[in-house]
Amino acid sequence: MNQVMKFILKLLFRLLLILLGFFVVTFTVYLFNLDMKLTAAIEPWLLKHYDRIERDAHL
Amino acid sequence: MAKEIGKDRLGDFYKDGGKVRKRREWRGVEDTLYDYSRWLVIMATLGKFMMKPRNVKAFFRYRWMANYLAVPMMVDRHTQGLRGEYLRICHTEQDLVIDDVAKLLDNLFRGDRRTGNDTEFSKKVVLVDENEMTAVMMGFPTLKCLSRETPSTYVSVLLNQHAAEHYIDVAQEFGLAGDVCPMPEAEAGVSIDDDAPILGACAIQCNTTCDGSLLGNGVISRRLEGEDGIPVFQLAAPLRHREDDVQEYAAQEIRNAIAFIEKHTGEKWDWKEYFECAKRVNYATKCRQEWLEMNRTPYPQVFGSNLALYTETNYMAICGRLAAFEKADRKITRLAHQAYEKKKRAAKEYRHRAIIWGVQSHYYMDFLVWLLNCWGIVPLTDMLSMVSTRELAETDTPENRETAIYDMAWLTENMIMRNRTHGGYKVLLDELWEFTQQFNADMVILWEHMSCKALTGMHGMFEDRARELGIHLVWVSHDLFDPRIISRQGVRDQINNYMRTVMREEPIDPSLEVLHDEESW
Amino acid sequence: MKDLKHLIIFEQLLLEANNELIRQAREEGRVCVAYTCENTPEPLMNLPGAFSARLRAPRTGSMEVATYYLTSFLCEYSRALLERAIEGGYSFADCIITPDGCSMMNRCVENMELLKTMGKDKPNFFYEYMEIPMKGDDNGLNLYVLQCKNHILKPLSEHYGIDTSDAAIRKAVAEHNRVCELIRAIGEYRKGERPRITGYEFHILTLATYACPKYLLIDKLEQTLEELKTREPDENFPYRARVVVVGSEVDDLDFIKLIEDSGAYVCADRFCYGSLPGRDPIVLTDDEDALTQICRQYMRRAECPRYMDTPKMKGRREYVAETAKEYGADGIIYEQMKFCDPWAYEKMLGSHILREEFGYPVLAVDRPYSIATSGQMRTRVQAFVESMEIKKIQKEGVANG
Repeated sequence: MNQVMKFILKLLFRLLLILLGFFVVTFTVYLFNLDMKLTAAIEPWLLKHYDRIERDAHL
Repeated sequence: MAKEIGKDRLGDFYKDGGKVRKRREWRGVEDTLYDYSRWLVIMATLGKFMMKPRNVKAFFRYRWMANYLAVPMMVDRHTQGLRGEYLRICHTEQDLVIDDVAKLLDNLFRGDRRTGNDTEFSKKVVLVDENEMTAVMMGFPTLKCLSRETPSTYVSVLLNQHAAEHYIDVAQEFGLAGDVCPMPEAEAGVSIDDDAPILGACAIQCNTTCDGSLLGNGVISRRLEGEDGIPVFQLAAPLRHREDDVQEYAAQEIRNAIAFIEKHTGEKWDWKEYFECAKRVNYATKCRQEWLEMNRTPYPQVFGSNLALYTETNYMAICGRLAAFEKADRKITRLAHQAYEKKKRAAKEYRHRAIIWGVQSHYYMDFLVWLLNCWGIVPLTDMLSMVSTRELAETDTPENRETAIYDMAWLTENMIMRNRTHGGYKVLLDELWEFTQQFNADMVILWEHMSCKALTGMHGMFEDRARELGIHLVWVSHDLFDPRIISRQGVRDQINNYMRTVMREEPIDPSLEVLHDEESW
Repeated sequence: MKDLKHLIIFEQLLLEANNELIRQAREEGRVCVAYTCENTPEPLMNLPGAFSARLRAPRTGSMEVATYYLTSFLCEYSRALLERAIEGGYSFADCIITPDGCSMMNRCVENMELLKTMGKDKPNFFYEYMEIPMKGDDNGLNLYVLQCKNHILKPLSEHYGIDTSDAAIRKAVAEHNRVCELIRAIGEYRKGERPRITGYEFHILTLATYACPKYLLIDKLEQTLEELKTREPDENFPYRARVVVVGSEVDDLDFIKLIEDSGAYVCADRFCYGSLPGRDPIVLTDDEDALTQICRQYMRRAECPRYMDTPKMKGRREYVAETAKEYGADGIIYEQMKFCDPWAYEKMLGSHILREEFGYPVLAVDRPYSIATSGQMRTRVQAFVESMEIKKIQKEGVANG
């Protein structure tokens, strides 16, 4: 029983650690706007990619 | 880093010349965690969308998809400075709209011949304009009513102020005059640039909103019908929509449009579904009227962008067809009442009560938030939110089925914006001053969309009337989709100059007065 | 060529909005119905006892006041009309009828009303705004008929006691047709290799039929037609190319003159205030009321870009191609007045389609209301003429091996 309890507690602890880690990472990304900073860096590359696409531009 | 409203210098979040802001706001533990949780939901929505290979393919095929990188920032712009109920109202709306647009994109790419190419699904798709009431789709629950222009141009410019520039340039390269409204111009540019998804059993175009929009549709239908083989029905809604002698014409257009859809999709009009949708439209109208009623008091609750953006989506694009919006209406109303009872305010100081009139700049949709935070000007309501309040018939009887046709016609005629820009000067000019009285406003912020002929054609009369009535009239010129003509700071400067030189006032938050956000999304 | 006998009279009539014939008709006790858009059926405004005058603002100078009211973003035609109205230049009108043909024209007339520019000391004066169809179908026709009844016939009858019976309408159509037949017959002389009338002269005559009481022009038009039958054309065709002018409102005498002075003969006029299709006679039968027939024919023949259905859109470009073929044009000039939304789009599409699909050289230009002596426009037309000449030479070269 003790073994099971220990296992569950360990699991919960790990889960808590994962959640905490998830929270710390995502909250840091959130608060420092890192998501937008990353996408802002990607955008110029994307625009160049779109320029390279062959298009049948006509009226 | 403050919990209290108005403690932060919101301008400090901007980085000179930067695309994005330095960091997100700290709104106190509770509100920050709430905002963070909503951010997670948005990220999950975006992540879920990108899980599908066809959507990834589309992301790399369509130039306008790059703008969707800026979704979280759009929400941040609209939640600037908000706390408590106001923050929750904003998220309820914005998150729902984001979810709805994500579904729209997903469906577009599912049927798109270039990406998903689900031909069976495509046969159940009816394409509609971006600026078109979707009333004719209320009785077709098994069909998908999708707009290509909404995600490619309309939403794109809300996300990224520069989104339409490429398409405007394309249209002009092909010989379109530079003085037409940049919205239909950009939509035509998307079509010319071969950048619109191709799908659908048929399409319903509409003459809303203006001459430019009407003619721009001709560019789109040429390709859609002539090359892609998608039949197009042009729904002509009368311009003089307040006149009795145009209603039969409008009703017949609705009958013809329904018959056209039935013919090309093989589906039958479902009256039961229609009346369900009509009930939701009525409920949305009731809620909107309650919000407007509160906005007449010293404690407005659902106002500014919270009112404008949501009304546009719910009234026009949704038109009772989605139950999720009814749920949102209920929640927003509950939050508004809660804040109203506590006599809450969204900003540190309310100095002026303003009616926002004219067509707002799409590349600066969060201007209303700025007005409040920088100068304490409360945008009580706006022209695009002052739409039809007519109660639709909602029980299925033979008489009501006939009435319903006229109701749909009325809604189509009274699409946002065109219900004011067309139909004679009374709806644009005279009713504005009635609203200033009803809302006890001391100021009118008049968006002058420079390519909107219907609006600028009343310029002098607005001036004359404002002078007669002693109302502060502040012109804010812009070019709707093109910040190269008048930048966001150019928009702000028009207010700054008026407030300093005429009103002799100092800003509530001086950090917002000048922002170097020309490069920003 | 020898000058046309009445040309100077016609030119003088067009120098003023309130011209001599309008004054004469009013002295005769006729009601002057002012209008602004080609989609207003003319015979209904020319019922016995009334006459129509399409508003123009010749010799426009400053438009400062109108620009204050309408801003500089509206087309100069609408601003010039409003300015003239504010100056009191349309005091001859007894009413004004305007369809919501385009937003700018609508706002122009609304401002006239709000500023009380017309109708002083005229208790019966009225402003009427009409809804006109945007598609050429049965529903559109029903609307057209109802709108004409409610916004033209009813107010004319109620305010001025004008007879609006079917018989009166048929009489007005007969008079209208006489003018149309004369103009079309005169216009036929543009088709020959050595035309007996210049595009400018024809433009003057056509324009007068819009701006003056028609019944007072008939004798002079008849005499002009007679004169043309024996008029000796120039020995050598003095132009280097033949063009059709297509586009928005042109009531400026100088525009067509400028094109012709630059070497391009204007062989056909497909623009508002032009004869194609504006001077097509209206064919009436006895098995249907005249009003419905007039509306149907106006709707079917309309080449206005506000018609948004696919058959109408396609038809507009086909009509230009047919006209160019019929009148032996070498090229097409698409023109639009600056800030005109409908023609901005139609010009883009039309110029592209006529060039790519119908193989015509096309010049697309935008212009102000009064072009006067624009060097820029002259250069563009001259360059276009040269390009057409080069193409012709190349074609002939290929044909000769």
